[in-house]
Amino acid sequence: MRLVALDTLAERVGLKRGQGAAEARAMCPSLDVIIEDSAADLAFLEGLADWCDRYTPLVALDGKDGLFLDITGCAHLHGGEKALVDDVLSRLFLLGVEARAVISSSAGLSWAVARYGEAAVIAPEDAERVLAPLPVAALRLPAETAALLERVGLKEIGDLLYAPRAPLTRRFGSLLLLRLDQARGHADEPLSPRLPVPSFSAERRLAEPLQEEEHILELARHLSGDVRLSLERHGEGGRLFELLLIRVDGRVFRIQAHAAVPLNDADRIAALFRERLQAVHDDLDAGYGYEILRLSVLRSERLDPAQEDFSGVPDESQPLATFADKLCARFGPDCLSFATVAESHLPERAGGFAPLTDVAAIMESRPVDEKACPENRPLRIFTHPELVEATAEVPDGAPRSFNWRKTQYRVARAEGPERIAAEWWIDGEDHPTRDYFRVEDQEGRRFWLFRESLYGRETSSPRWFVHGVFA
Amino acid sequence: MAEKAVQRETVLSLRETIAQIENRRLPGVVRAAKTADPAGFRRQGEEASRNKILPLGVPPLDDVLEGGLPLAGMTEIRNAETRDAGAAAGFVTALAVLCQWRKKEKGHLAPVLWISQGLASREAGLPYAPGLKSYGLDIERFLFVSIRTVKEALWVAETALSVPVFAAVVLEIRGNPACLALSESRRLHVRARAGGVPLLVFRQAGEEEASSAFFRLQIKPASAGERPLPDGSMLCGSIGHPAFHVLVEKSRAYASADIFLEWNAHDRRFYPIEQHQSVAPQVDEQSANSVDPFSAPVDRSSGADQVGRLLAFARAS
Repeated sequence: MRLVALDTLAERVGLKRGQGAAEARAMCPSLDVIIEDSAADLAFLEGLADWCDRYTPLVALDGKDGLFLDITGCAHLHGGEKALVDDVLSRLFLLGVEARAVISSSAGLSWAVARYGEAAVIAPEDAERVLAPLPVAALRLPAETAALLERVGLKEIGDLLYAPRAPLTRRFGSLLLLRLDQARGHADEPLSPRLPVPSFSAERRLAEPLQEEEHILELARHLSGDVRLSLERHGEGGRLFELLLIRVDGRVFRIQAHAAVPLNDADRIAALFRERLQAVHDDLDAGYGYEILRLSVLRSERLDPAQEDFSGVPDESQPLATFADKLCARFGPDCLSFATVAESHLPERAGGFAPLTDVAAIMESRPVDEKACPENRPLRIFTHPELVEATAEVPDGAPRSFNWRKTQYRVARAEGPERIAAEWWIDGEDHPTRDYFRVEDQEGRRFWLFRESLYGRETSSPRWFVHGVFA
Repeated sequence: MAEKAVQRETVLSLRETIAQIENRRLPGVVRAAKTADPAGFRRQGEEASRNKILPLGVPPLDDVLEGGLPLAGMTEIRNAETRDAGAAAGFVTALAVLCQWRKKEKGHLAPVLWISQGLASREAGLPYAPGLKSYGLDIERFLFVSIRTVKEALWVAETALSVPVFAAVVLEIRGNPACLALSESRRLHVRARAGGVPLLVFRQAGEEEASSAFFRLQIKPASAGERPLPDGSMLCGSIGHPAFHVLVEKSRAYASADIFLEWNAHDRRFYPIEQHQSVAPQVDEQSANSVDPFSAPVDRSSGADQVGRLLAFARAS
């Protein structure tokens, strides 16, 4: 067991990373050693990243212990850069997190100073002055490159800043100069944010935290009104909405709601979240309340404004979309489905259901291909054909009687066979052929039976299945 | 004289209340008294919405259903055993086809919503789109909701009934769950009447249970006819149009006998069938076991009840 991380107190005692746990205990008997849980660390870091959403939507993870925040254009909302850093640090301190933060014009410089330097806000012209006294490890180099540099005496970044570039590249590779340029702000370094940036959003910060669900909904309705204005201005309607709730203790909840048609109506957006909140009710622990609510539109589509006419005939897709939204918000997107027909010979592939995501698609008339719907198909079909024991007069003839679900049925009439071969381009060539029979038992129940495998050619003891029931 | 008028008023209002509780159309006297509105207007819309029915085209069944399937309200269709679910599903689907077709003839395509408890569709199979298509349904307008519990299914049904887009809402449940009792069915019924949507409660493998439905029908399988040949004769040994054996369990009219129907998907309508045409051995067995009618009385006028009629003693054990 080796130490991987230390708190300030342990560092002061003189412990080092990579030290054996037994040795460290010998140096400091009161040492409290906790087994590393990298998954939990990552989850915590992601939780913090969510929390940082309050400052900027562009938050990127940096390794195991850092976050990059792109605050371009955001600082003035929080009273300037210095005030922003102070706000972040004081809030994190209240959450029990010891953190360091630096604002500078490049990600590399912030990284270096946050770990090895002392400044809080660095102006672009000060970059080289601040960078010069820092050790070369502050350049985010691999450990062996850093060790190699130290061995040849290039211990500080200042030693590299004005050194000739060609010999450095030859000796240490191109990464060193790239990192150096990135830290000075000469080379661009794009951050990849964790989450996509919403195209529209509205936010409310509250002096008094909210706990009640009705209040959250009421506020969500207000926010919908704000979002609606910007949606309308762009002629768009949202399809995927997200309500972000930041609790006073820093925990972040994201509630997403899908809309079946592009929406820009405040009441209907709020209605989506009413159902969603009902559904996630148990997972949503309000604790001491939420201090920030933000409504974002994650996906939007073009929505042409429609004018109501005097004919008084209501547009049918609207109430249907409302119904679909309510259902999907409560039971998930797979709950409501529509019938689909595919061109396939195998019955289980020929018909099925697909989740209804777009109401507009179903309201448009799209005639089902007649060829895809042969006659004499059962009304209900079993997802998995059920094995039955059947007896037939001749091995490749219709069944005389069969035993399904522990009951004997005597066949009065049978129609068939309808031979359906497997689709070799999907299932492979050795998939058995089926002979389907429509049978009616003596009391008038009609079933769809099939015999798997051809007698004599594919097998000597074919099995029988019930695949569906007729009306 | 004045006292008499007051009494008459009271009786009329009581009658009206009773009729409303029983979801019945008002008897003649009350209706005449009610339509005489002080302002002189007839309540056209109210009256029209109450009388919306869909004739099924089979006189014995339409007589029992007082004209046809009510288009605003709840109708219950049940079958006794899971293995009969095919026949009952066929009957329900046929009603849905009729409702959808009626709306289509008026010019707008309305979807049919089928809400199914997960257990029900696992036991009796999922609706199959090509089969529904050849049965006469517009599957472009067929929405299916598969849901885990009965409570959730009830919620979905209630939500659907408040949306006036569906041609018919089918609620398929299995057995007699405690959470669909009289009060819940009353609630659904009222919702369906308010929304003007036919709600077909399809109770799979369920017992008879009191509910607020207008009618309750039990569906049993029946032997189908044979396929007709172009020259008018029948193709021997073939399986023709699906047939049903309908038992009316709850209705206001006296349900005299069993009704046998067949569904013609091509014409999209029911036809009555004569059961003795088809070959069903168990019918013969029943007639062999039943009590022979007495010989006609010599000294009395004929018309005495046939012996051997069973009263409602089924649950006595």
